[in-house]
This record gives sequence, structure tokens and C-alpha cells, in this order.
Amino acid sequence: MHATIQKPIDEIVGYIRPGEKVFVVGCDNCAMKCNTGGWPETRAMAERLRARGIEVVGCTVPGPPGTSLCKLSNTRKVLMEDCAAEAAQADSFLVLACGQGVHTVIDATGGAMVHPGCDTVFGGETVSDTEVREFCSLCGECIVEHTGGLCPLTLCAKGLLNGPCGGAKKGMCEVNPDQPCGWATIYERLKQLGRLDLLEPYQKPKNHARWGRPRFLTVSEHENTFHFNADHVTVRNDD
Amino acid sequence: MKLTELFREGKFVITGEVGPVKGSISRDRSIEPNCVRDAAFLQKHVHAVNVTDNQSAVMRLGSLAAGVFLKAQGIEPVFQLTCRDRNRIALQSDILTAYSLGIDNMLLLTGDHIQLGDHKEAKPVFDLDSVQLIHMAAGLRAGHDISGHPIENPPDMALGAVVNPNVEPVELQLIQMKKKIDAGAEFFQTQAVYDAELLERFMEQASKLGRPVQVGVVVLKSPQMAEYMNAHVSGIQVPRDWIVEIGGADKADRRKKAAEMTGRFLRRVKPLVQGVHIMPMGWVDTVPDILCEAGLAKD
Ligand code: SF4
Ligand code: SF4
Repeated sequence: MHATIQKPIDEIVGYIRPGEKVFVVGCDNCAMKCNTGGWPETRAMAERLRARGIEVVGCTVPGPPGTSLCKLSNTRKVLMEDCAAEAAQADSFLVLACGQGVHTVIDATGGAMVHPGCDTVFGGETVSDTEVREFCSLCGECIVEHTGGLCPLTLCAKGLLNGPCGGAKKGMCEVNPDQPCGWATIYERLKQLGRLDLLEPYQKPKNHARWGRPRFLTVSEHENTFHFNADHVTVRNDD
Repeated sequence: MKLTELFREGKFVITGEVGPVKGSISRDRSIEPNCVRDAAFLQKHVHAVNVTDNQSAVMRLGSLAAGVFLKAQGIEPVFQLTCRDRNRIALQSDILTAYSLGIDNMLLLTGDHIQLGDHKEAKPVFDLDSVQLIHMAAGLRAGHDISGHPIENPPDMALGAVVNPNVEPVELQLIQMKKKIDAGAEFFQTQAVYDAELLERFMEQASKLGRPVQVGVVVLKSPQMAEYMNAHVSGIQVPRDWIVEIGGADKADRRKKAAEMTGRFLRRVKPLVQGVHIMPMGWVDTVPDILCEAGLAKD
């Protein structure tokens, strides 16, 4: 899931020009789970803006329940058909969702003006109703086979691949004494699994080309193609 | 002069350390920065002087520039190079530059995180980790860059690395140390150690790996400094008895006391290691007394 936090209301208000009519859009998946862009927050945002003198022409969280805002076909249908009348009056759309959602609204509306209502902070695991934690940095080439499934790029503050720096104290990371050293965590897990041998081979430097943005993926029944920089890889999923 | 040659001759290698100035070196030499003055003093007592690379992520004069400057004054520098601020292109380029400018020794490290320094909003690079940095430096010495392209006049420098006996789990530090050796590390300097028994346990394992180790010591100036290091300096733990002992000395006597304590510690641990790396933190005048107390001398 894409973890988000709402931007401070004053910052959002500052985006909107005098007389600008705004339509508020939420997301019923990730942003809903983060309490940043579900129905309650989207309605509340409309009211908070109105209370600050901003004209809000409508709001919606594209359904059916549980639907991601970033599913373009659905968002397009909701904004351009179900909410067509209000949306047509809007000068801009305030999006209570991640940055993908912001862009989805641009695509869905054929290029309308948008404002981000949230900061997208990371992609994470929903470990409970009240906590999302980051375990993957979306690097484009997964190397967790040698670390027992724990990502050193994400769990280590420096993203070191061959083991720890010398900075930890009492098992805690030098960057944040409240956060366990990611490499100590990896070590403990592999030790428990009886697989410390996995740590021994040299891990070559990361191929940062796989991080070459903007990236895109084309999906078909039998194969996917991942495009990065001017390069791509195609992998079949059926043999 | 490469430190590896001294180790090969069986010498007990003594190094010091200076941190470059926060600023530049005046062109007319009208202002002599501390790092230059300190290094000139240390030179009489040590084989070489480490020059730190934006230590603690605090932006300063470059370690390469300062190292070259020391070399020109006849002081042997150990050029420290970290992964924090440069990607693999800049790191390789700096290694080639260092060799071209006469540097013979490098210490290759990860580097403190940006959050510890004075530019907290900077982008941390860490394109490589320290093992990969060593591997890359060894590759350059063997005549090719990290992408495999041949290079002209491969840089022939001694490759040093660091290890921290204080960090738990120690077994992980040892796995890491072995990886550094396999990658090409020829000698090690440790993070500051204050606990002789801890070092003893560590060296029992580390000495099996067959590379010379210099024990690191930071001259402890005051109990406040100990508390500060325990709270804020990564990877160092000053034990209670050190804090009590330095605190027990009058402020006026602290230099003497610090030298005595550090020297006593070194006297005890010197049979375990092949050298010492003294980080005087500005108190360079304690170094001769430390060495005297420890029964060590540059030969
Ligand atoms: S290595 Fe880490 S960041 Fe990369 S894909 Fe795997 S889990 Fe994600
Ligand atoms: S202390 Fe551990 S988690 Fe933190 S940067 Fe160092 S190795 Fe990574």
C-alpha cells in the first residue's frame, strides 16, 4: 500500500487561488486505510475548505468500496459520468491520495488542474489497523534472497548490501537510536533460520539503472515488460 | 610510503589523525589551519596521519586536498574515503586523482550518515557499501574500472579498511571483515576501543583472518566528552571506569591523565595487535606521552 499523510490544511488552502472552485477526490483503498482520503476525510476536507471560504463544488471517493483511485478506468467513469455535473464546474481537483492518485485524476479528467492533498511517504505493509511499515523501496531488482527476505536497502538507513556499518550502538541504528540496526535484524533472522552462510558471498553493487525513472510496465497474459531508462526486460510468466 | 610495507617489515605501525579545516587553506599560507599544525607535530611520533573525509557528515575541506597538502610538507597521509557523498564514478575518479597526486595509503569506509552532520537535508549517496568500495579500489589497482573497462597506469596504493569490535553482534562484524579481506583490504584500523577484554575476545577471532590490525583509540579529554560520545558518536562506548578516572583528575591535570590512561591501555593491548591508530581530537601534545607510557615508539 502507498502510505500517505495529509498536508497541513494551511498549505492546501495556500494552493487555491481566489475564486477557484474545487472538487475534492479521495481514494477508497490505501488513502482510506491511512485515514487520509476515505469518505470521512474527503467529506471533512470539503467542509474544512468551505469553513475557510473556499468554494467546494463537490466531492467523491470513487467506488465501489475498496477501489483504488489509481485504477484509471474506474476513476474516469466516476468523475466524468457519475459526478459529471459537479466536476464540470470545478477549476481544480484536490486529491486526497498518493501521487499516483494525483496523476490518475489528471488522466481521468483529460488534463484538469490538480492539487496534492497528501504527502506520499512510502510503500508499506499494513501491519495493523494503526500501523504501516516500510519493507521495500521499489528498487526494480530484488536482492532479498541473500538476506532471508529482509530488504537491506530499506531496513538499513544506508542501504548497505554486504553487511553493517560500524555505527550501531546496543543493536540500534546510528541514525535513530529507537530503530534497530537493519543488519542486526537480518543477522538474527538468518541465524534463527540456520542460514548465516547466505551472508558470506560478495554482493555486487546495485544496478541503479533499474531505478531509472520514469519507469513503466506493460502487462499481458504471458509476459510482462519492465521499462527503465532507455532499457527494458521482458519476462514470461508461464514457462 | 605504503603502510603495508611497514607491516611487512614487522613494524608496529603508529598512525594519528587530523580533521581538515571547516574552510579552505589560505593561499599565502598566512593562516595555518589546525590540521596542518597538528599533523606537523604528529609527524615526529607517527608513521602516517589519517585525514578524515567530512567526518561525522560535517562539511569541510576535502580529505584529498588536505592529504596532498600534508604530503607536500613531508607528512605521510592516509586518505580517508567514504561512500556517503559520492557515487561510483566520483569515488573512482577521486582514487585515480589521489594516486596521481602522490597518495600512497587509503582508508575506505562507509561514512557516518548525513543525519549525524550539519547538512541533514542532503541526499545520502551510498551507491556502494564499504566492501564494494574496497572491491572497486582493488579492481582499479588491477587495471580495470568497476564496469570492467581497462584503465591506464593503475593506481598502486595500500588499501585500508575499518572494523568495529564494539558492535554487536561481533560475529557479523567478523563476517564483514572477512568480506573486506576477500575484496582486497590489506590492513585494518578499528573504531575507538576502551575495553581491553572486549578487544582480546575480538582479536582472538580477527587475528585468524591474517591481516594486520591497528587498534583505534580516541584520547578521552573529560567525562563530558565520554557522555557525549556515548550518546551521539556512532559505534563508540566509553566504559564507566574510564569516565570516573578522567573525571577524578583536576581539569589542569587532564591532559596528563588522558595520556596516562590511553598509554596504559595500549601497553596492555599492544601484544594483541600490529599497530595503533591514535585519534587525539586536537590534543596532539598528548601523543608523545601516550606512546611513552605504552612503551611504543616509531621506528
Ligand atoms: S531489494 Fe528491497 S527495495 Fe528492491 S525490490 Fe527487493 S525488497 Fe524492494
Ligand atoms: S547502524 Fe545498521 S541500519 Fe543503521 S546504517 Fe549502520 S548498518 Fe545500517
